[in-house]
Amino acid sequence: MIKEKLEKIKNQELSAKENVENFLAKIEEKDDEINAFIEINKKAVEEAKKVDEEIKKGRNLKLAGLVFAIKSNINVKGLRATCASKTLENYVSTYDATVIERLKKEGAIIIGMTNMDEFACGSSGETSYFGPTLNPRAKERIPGGSSSGSAAAVAGEMCDIALGSDTGGSIRNPASHCGVFGLKPTYGLVSRYGLIDLAMSLDQIGPISSDVYGVAVALEVIGGYDVRDNTTLKYKPKYELNGVENYTIAYAKEFEEICDKRIYSEFLKGLRILENKGAKIVEISLPNLEKGLPAYYLINFVEFFSATRKFDGRRYGYRIEEVCGKEVLRRILLGKYISQKEYSGKYYKKALRFRNLIREEILKALSNVDLIASPVTPKLPHKLGEEIEPLEMYKYDILTVIANLAGIPAGVAPLSKINNIPVGIQFQAKPLEEQKIINAMHAVGEEK
Amino acid sequence: MKVMIGFEIHEQLKTQQKLFCECSTDYMHAEPNTNVCEICTGMPGAKPMPLNEKALDAVIAIALMLNCDIKREVYIQRKHYDYPDLPNGYQRTSTPIGVNGELVGVRIWEVHLEEDPGKYDPITGRVDYNRCGVPLVEIVTAPDISSAEHAREFLKELRKVLEYTGVVREEGGTMRVDVNISIEGGARVEIKNINSIKGVYRAIKFEIARQQNLLKRGIKVKRETRAFLEEQMITKAMRTKEEAQDYRYIPDPDLLPIFITQERIEKIKQSLPESPFEKEKRFIKQYGIDAETAKVLASELELANAFEEVAKHVDARIAALWIKDELKRILNYNDLTFKQSGIKAEHIVELIKMMQSKEITQKTAKKIMEILVKNPKSPKEIVKELGLSRIADKESLEKIVEEAINENKKAVEDYLNGKKEALNFIVGAVMRKTRGRADAKIVLELIKSKISA
Ligand SMILES: [Zn+2]
Repeated sequence: MIKEKLEKIKNQELSAKENVENFLAKIEEKDDEINAFIEINKKAVEEAKKVDEEIKKGRNLKLAGLVFAIKSNINVKGLRATCASKTLENYVSTYDATVIERLKKEGAIIIGMTNMDEFACGSSGETSYFGPTLNPRAKERIPGGSSSGSAAAVAGEMCDIALGSDTGGSIRNPASHCGVFGLKPTYGLVSRYGLIDLAMSLDQIGPISSDVYGVAVALEVIGGYDVRDNTTLKYKPKYELNGVENYTIAYAKEFEEICDKRIYSEFLKGLRILENKGAKIVEISLPNLEKGLPAYYLINFVEFFSATRKFDGRRYGYRIEEVCGKEVLRRILLGKYISQKEYSGKYYKKALRFRNLIREEILKALSNVDLIASPVTPKLPHKLGEEIEPLEMYKYDILTVIANLAGIPAGVAPLSKINNIPVGIQFQAKPLEEQKIINAMHAVGEEK
Repeated sequence: MKVMIGFEIHEQLKTQQKLFCECSTDYMHAEPNTNVCEICTGMPGAKPMPLNEKALDAVIAIALMLNCDIKREVYIQRKHYDYPDLPNGYQRTSTPIGVNGELVGVRIWEVHLEEDPGKYDPITGRVDYNRCGVPLVEIVTAPDISSAEHAREFLKELRKVLEYTGVVREEGGTMRVDVNISIEGGARVEIKNINSIKGVYRAIKFEIARQQNLLKRGIKVKRETRAFLEEQMITKAMRTKEEAQDYRYIPDPDLLPIFITQERIEKIKQSLPESPFEKEKRFIKQYGIDAETAKVLASELELANAFEEVAKHVDARIAALWIKDELKRILNYNDLTFKQSGIKAEHIVELIKMMQSKEITQKTAKKIMEILVKNPKSPKEIVKELGLSRIADKESLEKIVEEAINENKKAVEDYLNGKKEALNFIVGAVMRKTRGRADAKIVLELIKSKISA
């Protein structure tokens, strides 16, 4: 329990140094198998000692001594931000991302850089140049992606909290498969300064943790306006853990036809939990739900193509197209194709129009309710190494891309297990209504 | 034969900071790669800061000076191309800020804002990112220009207007021009990246001759992009239309749209200087000078301001003549602008006053003007240091006149034989001996009286 541990560290019953050392031992013991980390911070113990000194001096640090694992597409000065790619295999960050600056300021310790799908292009954690990550809660299955290592590090108890990034579900999908909590914030709540781009208009950094308190406290620290990210909002987050009494929570009738029967029936059980806690459940319709996926991928391809132009081989050793994996190359080539002058009207501009359509639809639906609940993925995670077609892979994201397209917040809490494989439940809210999502995640989390 | 020429003109804006970060824009004097940060070197994960508002104000000012309508909603776009000096693999460039403008009969299609790339040295393979992110204005004209001469005239006029706004860099040599040119029966050819007005003139001359030559021999002119080779004064093919680059423009997702308020436009409008054209008209009326003189005076804002200052203290027409005929001639000869010379209005006032009070001769005044251009300081001091004050007392002059008469017997003879102009020769000799300081009128009197005596 993060809250209790934080109290212990603040009361000096547990030192930051011990906390780090315990996790380092866990990583030593488990990570050869799980492969959640690409690089361990060799200075973590040293940094923890400094935090202990601060605590002794009586400084009140919001994250005093808590241990964070960071996705390898976020710059942490002195550590490699590889994006799990050969392209950036040797890229050592020269600066801290804004979120890292903020974590450090509040006494968090960065323990290492986590594995991920290469350049965050994937939903399974299998496309990493550094090999796939195992799901600690269901080892023959994929952990989900692209924040695979971050979710696995939390599920494998190798850190307190992890940061992931979410472009179309990359925090929520692995959180669900690994049975942990994760939240993708409102677009603009968290600075992207220092996050290596997948698709700039969709990317958000967010926390993954073993409980909802960890998610809330981390988000409070990393959220808020940053002059170095033009798209951040002038808003200072502050959260509590409350209930869902009198909330109106909607679900769409379209979910049933999209989802695996087992997943849908677990989802209905989840709704019942919320109802028992005082929420009112209503059915709505989201007829454009399925248009989200193609719009999402077209925008993703074009923005990713643009973002990767800097990896031209001149400064980082390799030209991305020459050394990347199949999925990264597919996205670059498709992005290059559809952004051509003669096609951009047909594909890219159309995708932007669909995006508006979907945003309007979901915001309209949310205007009458507090939350929309849904399953996280329409199917269970596949077996590690199982061949799967790109379009099948993309379908994992059908229920998560909506939040990115609309810029709204969405959080995932663990719900139950099917054949010992964790499944989660997703909550979406209006922009900047993370508090409601946290409350719903809390309500479901209490049941476990 | 009909020739149609249009321009895309880039000029650097004078701001302290770069367009999307807080780095200094000094790339000319700084050591390579010292005015850089993660943002302007495009490090992985870096994002642009909000657009430099001063750069936007500068472009609005230029657009207004070029009589453009101002767009109220502006986006920053990414223009993708692959070159070593471009750390992101794309250049950020705004959608049009000004449209539908006009300058001396040439239509201005659009005015927008861009970031400069770094500087790539193909020999060492090194890139200096100090220039990367320096704000640029791009001005696109309609193909309303009809000859190399017309092009030169227009660009001079444009440069004058830009200088008047006070928002472009003064160092000079930062203007870069792409020329679109098509001649009757030919095809549209683009000549890239010419960096002087002289270069534009020569490139157009060459290109017209080249295309005419092809047409004469019955060869079709290809639609293509060409480079101007300054040293050889020729243009050379770079790529054909089929190979034309597709920049894959997309709105930059890292930057929010910019909304320009009417209030902001009005505020900038208030602060704009009088245009060179308006200034000329006013000078003619206010100071009673001719059109040609007015044009010379208005050719540089600082010069025009200095003139108005001088005219407060001495006769405006005399001041105008001296500035146009002497000062401007010397400046041109030394290839300097008035501002670069460092001459102050009070120097000119002092000089003219000394001349009017006959402390110095006209000839000396001209000489001091020449010294001033190289070494601007008080003309009184110059006179003192160099001993240039007018010699008017008869005693001192008498001796010199006598010498001159004795040394020029032939001229004296000629004069006495009725050749009146021979007298000038003797005056000249006196002037040489006194380095122009002798009062010519007194000298003439003295010579006459001595010879006839
Ligand atoms: Zn910079």
